[in-house]
Amino acid sequence: MKPNAPRFENENWSPEMVAEFKRRQRGRNLALLAVLGGFCVLIYAVAVVKLHEYGQMW
Amino acid sequence: MSDTLFVNSTELGATAGDWIALLKPRVMSLVVFTGAIGLVIAPQHMNPVLALTAILCIAVGAGASGAINMWYDRDIDALMKRTASRPVPAGRIEPGSALAFGVVLAVCSVLLMAVAANLVAAAVLAVSIAFYVFVYTMWLKRLTPQNIVIGGAAGAFPAVIGWAAAAGDITALPLLLFAIVFFWTPPHFWALSLYASQDYARAGVPMLPVVKGARHTRVCVAVYTLILLPVTLAPYWFGLTGRIYAAAALVLGVAFAYYSWKVLADEQDATGKSLTGDVPARAAFKFSILYLFLLFGACAVDRLI
Repeated sequence: MKPNAPRFENENWSPEMVAEFKRRQRGRNLALLAVLGGFCVLIYAVAVVKLHEYGQMW
Repeated sequence: MSDTLFVNSTELGATAGDWIALLKPRVMSLVVFTGAIGLVIAPQHMNPVLALTAILCIAVGAGASGAINMWYDRDIDALMKRTASRPVPAGRIEPGSALAFGVVLAVCSVLLMAVAANLVAAAVLAVSIAFYVFVYTMWLKRLTPQNIVIGGAAGAFPAVIGWAAAAGDITALPLLLFAIVFFWTPPHFWALSLYASQDYARAGVPMLPVVKGARHTRVCVAVYTLILLPVTLAPYWFGLTGRIYAAAALVLGVAFAYYSWKVLADEQDATGKSLTGDVPARAAFKFSILYLFLLFGACAVDRLI
């Protein structure tokens, strides 16, 4: 494999393996997106509640 | 899926499920439950958003401990049937990635707990993670058959953290809940170790049945179950819970003692090894989980009514 080349360019892999690799990569990416999105929403919600508790927002 | 693909499955990298498996989700469920009970029974009201965030922090902190544990124990995990298919020993996740994942989650969970709840809860969460990683995983687990007795404290923290998140302090009741989980852990784990002792022996982990034998372990399961009974009744004796909890603790304690007696009286050879496939030990292990759920559930019901 060339240096820095994506792993699915491994010439020893069959087409099924490349497809499986891409499926796993897509699954990981979507999971990470969901975690980061959820974390942003959580931080926003905590910030709103805390501001409300200290009477700085309303 | 072709055979080639199956054979090279580890080379293809981890799935999202593998990363979740690093967090030991089954252990996490018990941790979340006891943490939530600690939070619910505290006298102070907590905003639902902050309460859910605190429970999430407890869950993530426990998961982070599990990930670091899997990183450290990858050598012995590979030797045990029960753990050989975990993502790190199976080669689907690099050890360094598992460690980084655990450390980042641990730091994030403690910081978020400090922001969403308070410094007391964050400090206890940090101590619980450190205790599990450094005291249990790195020090006691491979050193002594008492590893579970002392290391059991790590699993006893969540109820205290939940209480501290809501109340901002630590009083007698959360400490008694801590004691209950602390004394519940040995018979729970030793029941499991009775039928997984070959795995532990292969990996060189000095679990009680490996070092002292099955017969001694059966006696210890029974003794700790009997010690647990008065400990679970202590919250009632101190006037911190009512009769609903006391009745539940008594009934569940007697039932747990019955299961442990069955373990003790199991048909066995001269060394104490079961001749029945460890059916009583498996039953006791399963019941011990139900026991803790019902006992803590009764505590919450008692305090809320």
